[in-house]
Amino acid sequence: MHPGSPWFFDPFVLPFSIGVLWLFIAIVWKWSKWFAGLPREDKALIRHNFFTARTFRAIKEAFLECLIHRKIWKTNPMLGFMHMSLALGWFLLIVVGKLETSAYIRDAVNPPHVHVFFRYFFPEEPAAYIRHFNYALLMDCLLIFVLCGVALAWGKRLYSRMMGMKRTTRHTPFDRIALTTLWLIFPLRYLAESITCGVHDSGSFFTGGTGDLLASVLPGGVLSAMEYPAWWAYSIVLGLFFVAMPYSRYMHIFTEIPLIFLRAYKVKSKPEGSTFDNFQIQACSRCGICLDPCPIAADLDINNIQPAYFLRDRRYGHLTAQVADTCLMCGRCAQACPVGIDQATLRLSSRVAFARQSSFYEAPRYEFLASTADRSEGTGRVGYFAGCMTQLTPSITRAMEKIFAAARVDVWWADKNGGVCCGRPMRLSGNLPAAERMERYNTELFRKHGITTLVTGCPICYKTFTQEYKELQKMGIRVLHHTQYIAELIAGGRLKTSTLAASYAYHDPCELRGIYSEPRYVLSHVATLTNAESHEKDRVHCCGGSLANLTLDTAAQKKIGTTVVHNLLATGAETIVTSCPQCKKSLQLSAGNDQVHVVDIAEVVARAV
Amino acid sequence: MDFGFTINAPRAIYLDKIDPTLRDKIIARERTTLLCIGCGSCTATCTTGQFTSFSLRKMQHLIRRGEYDTVRKSLQECMLCGKCRMVCPRGVHTRAVIHAMLEVL
Repeated sequence: MHPGSPWFFDPFVLPFSIGVLWLFIAIVWKWSKWFAGLPREDKALIRHNFFTARTFRAIKEAFLECLIHRKIWKTNPMLGFMHMSLALGWFLLIVVGKLETSAYIRDAVNPPHVHVFFRYFFPEEPAAYIRHFNYALLMDCLLIFVLCGVALAWGKRLYSRMMGMKRTTRHTPFDRIALTTLWLIFPLRYLAESITCGVHDSGSFFTGGTGDLLASVLPGGVLSAMEYPAWWAYSIVLGLFFVAMPYSRYMHIFTEIPLIFLRAYKVKSKPEGSTFDNFQIQACSRCGICLDPCPIAADLDINNIQPAYFLRDRRYGHLTAQVADTCLMCGRCAQACPVGIDQATLRLSSRVAFARQSSFYEAPRYEFLASTADRSEGTGRVGYFAGCMTQLTPSITRAMEKIFAAARVDVWWADKNGGVCCGRPMRLSGNLPAAERMERYNTELFRKHGITTLVTGCPICYKTFTQEYKELQKMGIRVLHHTQYIAELIAGGRLKTSTLAASYAYHDPCELRGIYSEPRYVLSHVATLTNAESHEKDRVHCCGGSLANLTLDTAAQKKIGTTVVHNLLATGAETIVTSCPQCKKSLQLSAGNDQVHVVDIAEVVARAV
Repeated sequence: MDFGFTINAPRAIYLDKIDPTLRDKIIARERTTLLCIGCGSCTATCTTGQFTSFSLRKMQHLIRRGEYDTVRKSLQECMLCGKCRMVCPRGVHTRAVIHAMLEVL
């Protein structure tokens, strides 16, 4: 059929149309499978929150993140512009193209190929139409906008550092196919439209201008002979992209939208895993923003375990225990992630899946706990749980004893003579039932002694008590890390301190992410703090000793810690101070035992008391 | 007479007759297990060790000798807290050793 036929059909639209149909079926299939598989409580959450303001907030977030890419703008403006021009530009090309077509043929119902190949079917616009609204001009501007993004993407491939990225993602074969076709789509569209405009002497400044240039350079016959193959090429490339899309990283384009809505409805990933995980996994575009913040990449040059690769391996079903287990779970990647993927829980659920294969997973554990004698001492309402790591660093417990005594607090010492682990190290290895057994023991212990406040010496325990021990909240027990507790004592005037003539650099433990003001308040109160003003996103950097790591050896751990020590000493401090016994030990190991002193915040305060 | 300790009955382990498969698997999973000199620092600091006779040092020996059943029983008591790793003078990644044992045995 010739161009301009009322059926608006030509065989060259077939590759595109088949691709679109395929993509549509793939998306519907994936989404309905994942939605149907959601746990009952998640479905209830969706029903409960659907007709609330959350939906509007999700629409706003979807617009800001999926089209504008606001978080990537914050990471790096040029990177943000590249993502925005491709996403928003393409989206507007579709919307404006649809409006243009509907206005032009005076019928809002038309198949998608009509507006995609509009210029082919309607090579010449009447002058009256242009006076009404210059769609051709707008479409040309949008095409330039998208082509800028494509050019930047090529530039990023050559020199990614201009967008602030040292490392970029290594792609799978399907990603390469999709990437190549994506890079060709818009240049080919530009070419096909320009040729048609050149042949028919139409179009706006960009495609029309290029068409005029082509017409003046090439003999008329050559240009019209090129027209039809150019449209075929454009259609084939589009079709290929759509076919490759469900298998490639570009599935994120459509998966991020339901993810934003589900997250707004408070649906979360669970350590046991659920089909919601698929939304998170496939919403990862492997943009590579998570690669640079990872200390394992920066210090150890291990480049196959970062979220982009972990989620990729998990998505395609070839995840190994090695990849799942090699992670410090310090959360730097998750903080950088523009999609907000909860990588820690996803990694944990993968570890759980591996742990389940062991015959020990469901076996009854720690039966000796039933007959264990209570080793706690004291009668206070304030409980102090030192935790395993603080038991290895008795100077911290001694410092806390002095602080409690100075503030005249009556303390119940939960594990001064030995206690049971909080369960987080076990949990992070994926053995949930074993961790829950420890949780039950400790909860019962706290219940028995009727405490109202629980102070922990270790951020690892603090995190478990606040996040996993659901009973503590019901029992009305306030959980505080000793950093927070000391800050309260000082602020309440219960603890009188002198000022020490020493300068300290504070190291933020990963497990105390978000608790930044209390330690800085305490330290500025008793001494000079050299890194009080560091940027929030740079604050947490694992000491290397993370208990989430199940594979890296001591040398690797030491190397990560050395970077931290180096950065802290560069601020001009004499001594490093932290609030985690694990960090204290690791940093001391990395710093060398004689040169630099690493102390706990409680020890600093105790000196000033 | 109670001395507070007993002496193990004499036993003979025929290293030629043990099944080394599991032992080798564990060693392949976590190479640092070979660094162990059996000093017992891990056992001395062990959280579980406060309550039971659990001993990583002993387990390392039992694995070398192919006595997997005894290890299996004892393995379930570990809390994986990682204190042993921090005191190990040889840099054995003790948590990874236990983790490997949990998966292999």
